[in-house]
Amino acid sequence: MKTYKDLPSDAGSNIIGQVTAQVNRLQKRLASVKHTVAIMSGKGGVGKSSLTANLATALTLKGNTVGVVDADINGPTLAKMMGVRSATLEYTSIGVKPAITALGTKLISMDLLLAEDDAPVIWNAHTQKDAFTWRSSMEVGALREFISDTEWGELDYLLLDLPPGTDRLPNVAELIPNLGGVVVVTIPSEVSQLIVKKSVTMAKDILNVPIIGVVENMAFYVCQHCGEEEPLFSAEEPLDSAFQQAILGSIPFDPKLARASDNGTSYLGEYPDAPASKVLMQMAEKIQAFFEN
Amino acid sequence: MKFLCTDCDTAMKFKDVTRPEQGSVTALFECPDCFTEIAMYLNPSETQMLKSLDLKLGGNNEAAQPMQMVRSQLETAKSEPMSSMFSSETSSDETTEGGKCPFTSVISDTFQEESVPDEPTGPVWTPEALERLERIPSFVRPMAKMGIESFAKDNGHDEITGEVMDAARGNFPAQF
Repeated sequence: MKTYKDLPSDAGSNIIGQVTAQVNRLQKRLASVKHTVAIMSGKGGVGKSSLTANLATALTLKGNTVGVVDADINGPTLAKMMGVRSATLEYTSIGVKPAITALGTKLISMDLLLAEDDAPVIWNAHTQKDAFTWRSSMEVGALREFISDTEWGELDYLLLDLPPGTDRLPNVAELIPNLGGVVVVTIPSEVSQLIVKKSVTMAKDILNVPIIGVVENMAFYVCQHCGEEEPLFSAEEPLDSAFQQAILGSIPFDPKLARASDNGTSYLGEYPDAPASKVLMQMAEKIQAFFEN
Repeated sequence: MKFLCTDCDTAMKFKDVTRPEQGSVTALFECPDCFTEIAMYLNPSETQMLKSLDLKLGGNNEAAQPMQMVRSQLETAKSEPMSSMFSSETSSDETTEGGKCPFTSVISDTFQEESVPDEPTGPVWTPEALERLERIPSFVRPMAKMGIESFAKDNGHDEITGEVMDAARGNFPAQF
């Protein structure tokens, strides 16, 4: 009796061919993207999305064409932070036109597809029972379509804002085998650094994805009156030495930055001379230098 | 998946796929030598897994539409772009292409099956239950309705009352 390998095809479904077509679609779209950068942390609440929005703006202000993928399928926030939440996606025969900010940064986010403010992501199914068995596949499929079906045009940088969790980067690394690098975000707390270390190990040692650098977010607080720097978190816990070697920048906490995110306005445009703005622009330069060298 | 006709020692070929019933799909395969047919049943989870991978039984000869998986599978999507896309494309496909992929039809049928407002063979809603159903947020209402009807059928209720809705409450995430 013939074995599995003796049979020439899968009875006509050509599943491998269908998967290959998906991969080809992705590769074709990514061919017009020079550099892909994943923004990750492993831990939630460290400011990844805010950093992504501002890094995208900083890179755009430096004269680059920039696209952003809000890879947080279930907790999308970038459309609001980048001020394009009311944008309507336009579907054409070759793709989906992304939302575009006033500065020209392009964005695709699940938030742009959801019906209402309080609408969570619910996938159509005969029953939601046992949805855990297929929900992750849906989310990876959605991310694949976000990257491959958005009309990015020619991009210098495509930033991907990953949701928390060390398992997210492997999904992205499989979708984008030539992922340019990873920016790791942490805050000066032991809890954050504990989880972020796992993300660094996952990227560097397991997936062999280059670490562009570590961002220490909310690193300190600048007094609005005297300009003195004060620690926001425990002063006795400096950034881990392993992180210090790869530091891309330390961003001071600034309530105006949080407000700009809430309002969907450009912090860098409104407060170009603020300490955090200067750090963000320096980080954009370092990212450019990383890819130029 | 590969299928072998053990009598002929010949690889079987995909033949057809039937309409879905309760979320499950039946695919038919045939031996090209002795024409023996076998049926493969996919349970709702298996059907859903296939949909989540955006793969189609029997092959896919159609050009991929932008974000077709997200747009067709997102229950809580904005209605305007979704409906405009699918109404035009469906009619276009039907008029210009005769050989539509069977599984594409199956997916469309699945949506119809799930969105039919008054299923004639299903349990009857009492006015009180319908009133409660209307209070459920619109974006989860179809899913809640389907879940309650499924619960009623599984538990032998011909009529959906407030009590049945209470009993079904723990069956799915939406609260009502």
